[in-house]
Amino acid sequence: MRASLRPALDKLALAWRRWSLWALLAGLVLAVLATLVFLAGRYEASQVQAKLERDTANTIGDIRAGLARNVQSLQALQAGRPAPEAWALGARALLHERRELMRIEWRDDALAILEHVDSPFHVPVFSRYDRSIAQSDMALACANAHRFSGPAYSNSYFVPQSDGLGMEMMDVCLPLASGGQPAGYLVATYSLQEILSDLVEKQLTRSQEVSFTEADGTRLALHGQGRRGSRVFTAQQLLNLPGYTLVLRMDSWRAAPDLFPDVLTALVSVMSIALVSVLVLLAKDMRRRLRAERGLADALAFRKAMEDSLVTGLRARDLQGRITYVNPAFCQMVGFAPEELMGHSVPAPYWPPDQADEYRQRHAIRMSGGSVPPREGFESVFVRKDGTRFPVLIIEAPLIDAQGVQTGWMGACLDISEQRRVQELTRATQERLQATARLATVGEMASLLSHELNQPLAAISSYATGSMNLLQGDPGPDGHSSLALAMRRIAEQAGRAGRIIKSVHDFVRRRDEAREVVRPQDLFDAILPLVSLQAGKLGVRVELSFEKDLPSVLCDHTMVEQVLLNLARNAMQAMDEPAITRRLLVLAVRRAQATERTAHSPGWLEFSVADLGPGIAPQVAQQLFTPFFTTKREGMGLGLSLCRTVVEQHGGFLTLQPNQPQGMIFRFTLPVHSPAATAADA
Amino acid sequence: MQPALNATVFLVDDDASVREALAWLLRSRHVPSDSYDSAEAFMRMLQTGFVPTQPCCLLLDVRMPGMSGLALFDQLALRGLVQAMPVIFLTGHADVPTAVAAVKRGAFDFCEKPFSDNALVDRVEQALQQSAQILQARSAQTSAQSRLAGLTEREHDVMRLVVEGLPNKLIADQLNISVRTVEVHRSRVFDKMEVKSAVELANALRNV
Repeated sequence: MRASLRPALDKLALAWRRWSLWALLAGLVLAVLATLVFLAGRYEASQVQAKLERDTANTIGDIRAGLARNVQSLQALQAGRPAPEAWALGARALLHERRELMRIEWRDDALAILEHVDSPFHVPVFSRYDRSIAQSDMALACANAHRFSGPAYSNSYFVPQSDGLGMEMMDVCLPLASGGQPAGYLVATYSLQEILSDLVEKQLTRSQEVSFTEADGTRLALHGQGRRGSRVFTAQQLLNLPGYTLVLRMDSWRAAPDLFPDVLTALVSVMSIALVSVLVLLAKDMRRRLRAERGLADALAFRKAMEDSLVTGLRARDLQGRITYVNPAFCQMVGFAPEELMGHSVPAPYWPPDQADEYRQRHAIRMSGGSVPPREGFESVFVRKDGTRFPVLIIEAPLIDAQGVQTGWMGACLDISEQRRVQELTRATQERLQATARLATVGEMASLLSHELNQPLAAISSYATGSMNLLQGDPGPDGHSSLALAMRRIAEQAGRAGRIIKSVHDFVRRRDEAREVVRPQDLFDAILPLVSLQAGKLGVRVELSFEKDLPSVLCDHTMVEQVLLNLARNAMQAMDEPAITRRLLVLAVRRAQATERTAHSPGWLEFSVADLGPGIAPQVAQQLFTPFFTTKREGMGLGLSLCRTVVEQHGGFLTLQPNQPQGMIFRFTLPVHSPAATAADA
Repeated sequence: MQPALNATVFLVDDDASVREALAWLLRSRHVPSDSYDSAEAFMRMLQTGFVPTQPCCLLLDVRMPGMSGLALFDQLALRGLVQAMPVIFLTGHADVPTAVAAVKRGAFDFCEKPFSDNALVDRVEQALQQSAQILQARSAQTSAQSRLAGLTEREHDVMRLVVEGLPNKLIADQLNISVRTVEVHRSRVFDKMEVKSAVELANALRNV
């Protein structure tokens, strides 16, 4: 239970660790984004608020300026003590010009109206209600004006209008003086509503509401756009007028709920979206990378397992010939540990010391790029750490890195000793089979021959014995003729036996017709594969030595190949002893020196097979060619006698002599083919 | 020793010159012979109803085309002829083991070609001798059997008891007859079996 739970838990923990990291990152990003959006919103709001405040302040300024200008214009009306008509004209013109003014009155000191003019744009304000409605306010303002000796404003007051609505009004009172004496008052009536609509910049009222309120927030006049949202920004400023203070309030609405109040927020949002997208992409990329990494790890593990499980030895060398990589199979093959091989250059520890020079040459050629190794590989010999030799098949290929540059050589080495052994075994078995078959044939022939010969011999001996019986006893009357008959029969049967023998001889002679013209090299080429096989097995080096421009020989090539093979085999087997370390087999052909035996012929080639074995004792040498004499455990004792028979059938002879420094040389001669001689025969 | 004049040696060999030479050799020792060129020919002769009554033997070549010597020997052994007609095989070197096996199965002997001297003829004479003995024993046996067949039932009973060695008195008690009658029967049995005493009678009966 616990065991099964553990890996699952581990997996969970790992996933948790990874996912928590991601979650944290995502959370952080989201928090940053939210904060950004929030701050942007806040900034936006404060911006709007500040702007509103500025606008309010400006508006206040504008209103003040407007009011001040109006005061100046009003004062200008009185300049030069105008006649009432002229004054009215001026006042009318002024009202025409200034829409915020509803009415201008000229009052005397006692505040009685001397002259008044109403704004041409409105129904006269006091048409429905009497002017007395605001008398007290106006009187208070004029009193203030008198006190200030400057313009003073009254509290605002509401005048209902004939259209059922009303207007909030405010008077300004200007004290008039003439020659330092008070000379009445100018009272101008403002509509607060009109002040807002005329003195405030149109720009401002397009998107917000401007209103006058009392200090307690009671709204007096309102101008501008109605509400268009829930979010409202408000700015208030006092408008201090002499004698009266108003509050100017500005309201600005935003669409709600407004997540992206404006460009900045939008920008931030876009950026955050981009950030999130990048984050997602990063996650994706990360996942892809992880996947790729895992795939790579799997592939690498697979490769490694493959290299480690190969029975083929792998060896990589760089261009300097240093070993850069070996797989376990190679190490097992040569018996060295990887660290004993890595970085090794020539001579490699697994080279046979006596052939190091040859290998070094081969190596140098390979490294200089002078020769392309054969695709099917080449055979070589390695030495294990314990000194045993074994044949290998090496297949080398250039190592090309990812950039397409050759960085060295990769060699695959196969231990072919087993293969060799099997080949050898097959060959030996086949040979034994062939020998058995041959022997069976020979046995069959011998048995047939002996049966055939037995018949006449039996007859002869019967006649002879019978004759003896007759001669010992009394031959009787017809004894003479009986004996004569017996003798005739004996002669006949002897003749019959002779014919049988002759037929055998003819059978042997029939092979003479198989003579053909053969190049000596071809004879060697035919047997070399078999010889090399056995040589490889016994560790024998085979050397061939041909004289230049050798003529062809006239022979039965199958038989001569058998002779060569037999001699080469004997030579190699002679060297198969632990004491003999230099194992060299030399197969040579040269022109034979003319001796009295060969002087009469067109010429002879001398074939020789030399070994470095223990040699042959003289008493053994004498019996060597005797049929059925053998020194081998499994020998038939026919090999050498047959060899000699074959050579002698060709007219040559087979001899042996001791080799230097040790071993034996078998030599035999074969006739050179001369076209002239054959032409003469034909 | 001289063989019986009426003895015959049968020669079976596919090689005419060997047959002739052997016949000639045998004739030089006064042994008559009868030659056949194949085992089949000899079999045909047997099927005409040949039964060896005179001493004879067979010189048989092992290796012949068609029916081999060994096959012929097996046929003869089936018919129970190889005691009265001993078989001597003629062999080459190669056939010696075959011939030895045949001797174990009852052949008289084998002789390797080429046989150079009179040893073969000596063996032939020994074979003829064996043949003569066997034939003689057989004829004795058959005559004893025919005499036995001539006895009456009562004579048989008396004879059995005589051979067991009982005195006449006891025989008479056993057979419930008088001693006189026993004596008569006894003399009749001795006459018919051509013997003089109880001992001889027992010997004659052993051959049957």
